[in-house]
Amino acid sequence: MSEGGASKGKPRPFNRRVLLAGLVVVAPLVAVLVMNLGRNPHLIASPLVGRAAPDFVLRPLDGGEPVTLASLRGRPVVLNFWATWCVPCFEEHAVLVSAARATGDRAHFIGVVYQDDEEQVRAFLARQGSAYPSLLDPGSRTAIAFGIFGVPETFFIDGEGRIAAKHVGPLDAPSLEAKLRLSGLAP
Amino acid sequence: MRRTGGSLRRAAGLALIAAGAWLGAPLAVAQGPSAGGEPSRVVGPPRGSALAGDALSARAEDVAGLLRCPVCQGLSVADSPATMAVNMKAQVKDMLAQGYDEEQILAYFEHSYGEFVRLEPPLRGVNWLVWLGPLLALAAGGALVAWTLRSRRRVGGQDPLAPLPGPGTLPDDPELARHLRRVRELAYGWAHGRPPGSSS
Repeated sequence: MSEGGASKGKPRPFNRRVLLAGLVVVAPLVAVLVMNLGRNPHLIASPLVGRAAPDFVLRPLDGGEPVTLASLRGRPVVLNFWATWCVPCFEEHAVLVSAARATGDRAHFIGVVYQDDEEQVRAFLARQGSAYPSLLDPGSRTAIAFGIFGVPETFFIDGEGRIAAKHVGPLDAPSLEAKLRLSGLAP
Repeated sequence: MRRTGGSLRRAAGLALIAAGAWLGAPLAVAQGPSAGGEPSRVVGPPRGSALAGDALSARAEDVAGLLRCPVCQGLSVADSPATMAVNMKAQVKDMLAQGYDEEQILAYFEHSYGEFVRLEPPLRGVNWLVWLGPLLALAAGGALVAWTLRSRRRVGGQDPLAPLPGPGTLPDDPELARHLRRVRELAYGWAHGRPPGSSS
């Protein structure tokens, strides 16, 4: 890289300058490109991971007292944003239900309904079964506070209320297990 | 040679710094303070005055125009008909009605979505490059062109605007001069390649 093609005869002074200017422009672009080759450009890292989870006060679908995040402290929380109109949510529903049953009371599993009709959600859960509460989020205020881009998105919140991890897209059993371990819940 | 090595190293260093700044920026953002979901817990108490009526609607439209709709492709919250954008606009309106100012509202959405949610990159950190980079590049390019033209004129000794040598002149190289004289003899019929009327 030190002399390039300038070894033969008298080098023309301009070529080297062009090479330098080109390097200054191109090298950072190439570096950024190479370092991001394996990344999905549609995934934007959440600035919330590692921070305290936004608190919420949400009404459960089946009535009863509103649920706050603060009331869930002490145990890890798996917070799943979902909707009945979302096909990947349908696929991951069984994974979440069986994981919630297997985990028992060592963790809270919570669903947050994202832009959906209450009756549709009720019918969906009656048909597919449920093992944990689903909360209603009118006006998507909680979805906005969690920076939701689409459903499904799942947040793993540790016992101190800190967001340990975020999963975008449907969860399968292995990735759910790995993320649970991250949030301080070794199975 | 030493000079070239030094400038190459400098260029490589600059490239590394530029690349590092681009890649390091998201990390720096992620290390900010933490807060909860209530806007006041993220951006503090309202700093502006509470709006109502037509002023509120107009201002909500303005501020929503500065936010990127997270479920669309390059549309602002004000322009998008998506449910998410409608909900975000409703929240912008609520916050304006409570007296939050524009910067607080943008900061609240940025807290959960990252800088991505701002349609215009704010003037801070590495973003200065986006705003000033083109101007700097233009100035650097202009300086490079000016410098190159000047040094060519000086080093080459041949001013491109200087008058051309006349038909009777010969190059310094005696070998080349011999051939040139032969060409002139053949082409113009000049004896010994000398223009008619010249004495030497």
